[in-house]
Amino acid sequence: MTDLTRSTRPDLSCDDVRELAASFVLGALDVDEADAVRAHLASCAEPHPEMAELGSVVAVLNEAVPLVEPPPALKGRILAAAAADRAARGGAAGRDVEAAEPPAVSAPLPSPADAVPFPSPAEREQRAAARAGMGTWIVRIAAVLAIALLGGWNLLLQGQLEAARTYEQNVAAVLDVAGQPGSLTAILTGEGADAPAGLAAIASDGSVRIAMSELPATSGNQVYEAWVIGGDGVPVALGGFQVGETGVAYFEGSGLPTEAGIVLALTLEPGPGATAPSSAPVSAGIAVGAG
Amino acid sequence: MSDSAGPLPLRVASVADDADRAVLARVADGELSALDDLYERYKTMAYSIAFRITNDATLAEDVVQDAFLGAWRNAARYVEGRGSVKTWLLSIVHHRAIDAVRRRRPTSELPEREDVPPPELRLPDVWAEVSSRLDADTVRGAMAVLSDVQREAIELAYFGGLTQLEVAERTATPLGTVKSRMRLGLLAMRRALLEAEGPAAPGAASGASPGAGGEAR
Repeated sequence: MTDLTRSTRPDLSCDDVRELAASFVLGALDVDEADAVRAHLASCAEPHPEMAELGSVVAVLNEAVPLVEPPPALKGRILAAAAADRAARGGAAGRDVEAAEPPAVSAPLPSPADAVPFPSPAEREQRAAARAGMGTWIVRIAAVLAIALLGGWNLLLQGQLEAARTYEQNVAAVLDVAGQPGSLTAILTGEGADAPAGLAAIASDGSVRIAMSELPATSGNQVYEAWVIGGDGVPVALGGFQVGETGVAYFEGSGLPTEAGIVLALTLEPGPGATAPSSAPVSAGIAVGAG
Repeated sequence: MSDSAGPLPLRVASVADDADRAVLARVADGELSALDDLYERYKTMAYSIAFRITNDATLAEDVVQDAFLGAWRNAARYVEGRGSVKTWLLSIVHHRAIDAVRRRRPTSELPEREDVPPPELRLPDVWAEVSSRLDADTVRGAMAVLSDVQREAIELAYFGGLTQLEVAERTATPLGTVKSRMRLGLLAMRRALLEAEGPAAPGAASGASPGAGGEAR
């Protein structure tokens, strides 16, 4: 925009540059002057040792600065901005996620749920490829939205990069089911801004996948029990799982009714095997049909 | 870091530099976890410099974010052997912070150059590597050799973001005098650092800083 000034500026001599060296290394030249110095240095055959001599002292000035710790949230902001920047540039975003380890729930599942192996990235890829009538990019966009809305963003803001990735993969697995014909989806929410939230999808065969974030960690024998509440209003246990410090969890279950309007809920139970909820749900949502 | 009288630990600095370069190479590949690593290494220095210059916590955060994003986008353009990763990164922070305070000052002319890479990311990088690990006490000792007017000129420029012309106006001093105060002040600091750190230390004219991993030119 202002390149005119540069092209009309006379070239500096070596003596000019020597005279400006201290101001240059201190950052005390205006933009045009500094550019002129750089242009000279880039093309000058003479060595300009004064630049290194004075510049090395300036680098040392940094060491005299009183130390102040940045706020912890800044890291999350920077990483989130970098992730967004990478996505905008169409870089390696997808590759990284696909190449990463398959997600694991943070603790062994004390329920039949752990009998269901989590699909490998390759398997998920196959399913995604085989899915007719729905472009992968739609799933991608949906995944991004779901992550942003449902906790991945918060994880990034907290600097929990690995947890955010795990959650993203979990959500992608849920969206695989959500993209199939005849499936139902539910957004699980709780009360309050930091309440546990997540996404669930019920396939036409009655199997369910749930991806959650921001669940408080379980301790001891505690489990989160997943429930389905059908038309009769009676909660039916689907299985339980434990959660680590990241608050991220993935759950698979089966045998659900495939009717829109059923409710999925999670409660915190003192141990596995509950047959009725002992407390109010920490997160719940209503299943609705796609489309 | 309390060994203010000891020799400059250049070998240690060199190991740190190697590790830094490895991290930066991963940053250049677009690895978020590498940016995480880089941030953990230099967040305190970066934020401290930004805060010292802007004197504003919010602005300092923006500056640090800008600087790390600048490093994220331009890591591939870092030229090995022309200064350490630390010096490179902190010079980005410094430039961004100076830009930020100049922008904030209504009187200052600052061309809109958002569309070009920031100056510190273009050729040439003249920042010789002195030391990644100079003790802060040693540095303060070196600053103590400055006369009041030299220190004022250097601090107004480096931490205040003033141009040499603005320093002259602010201190009601002829421009030529300001220039020589900066120059003589930096040279005096350099002598003090060399004395404090021993004969083989900062950017000796021969360019022989053992293990410092390359000199500019």
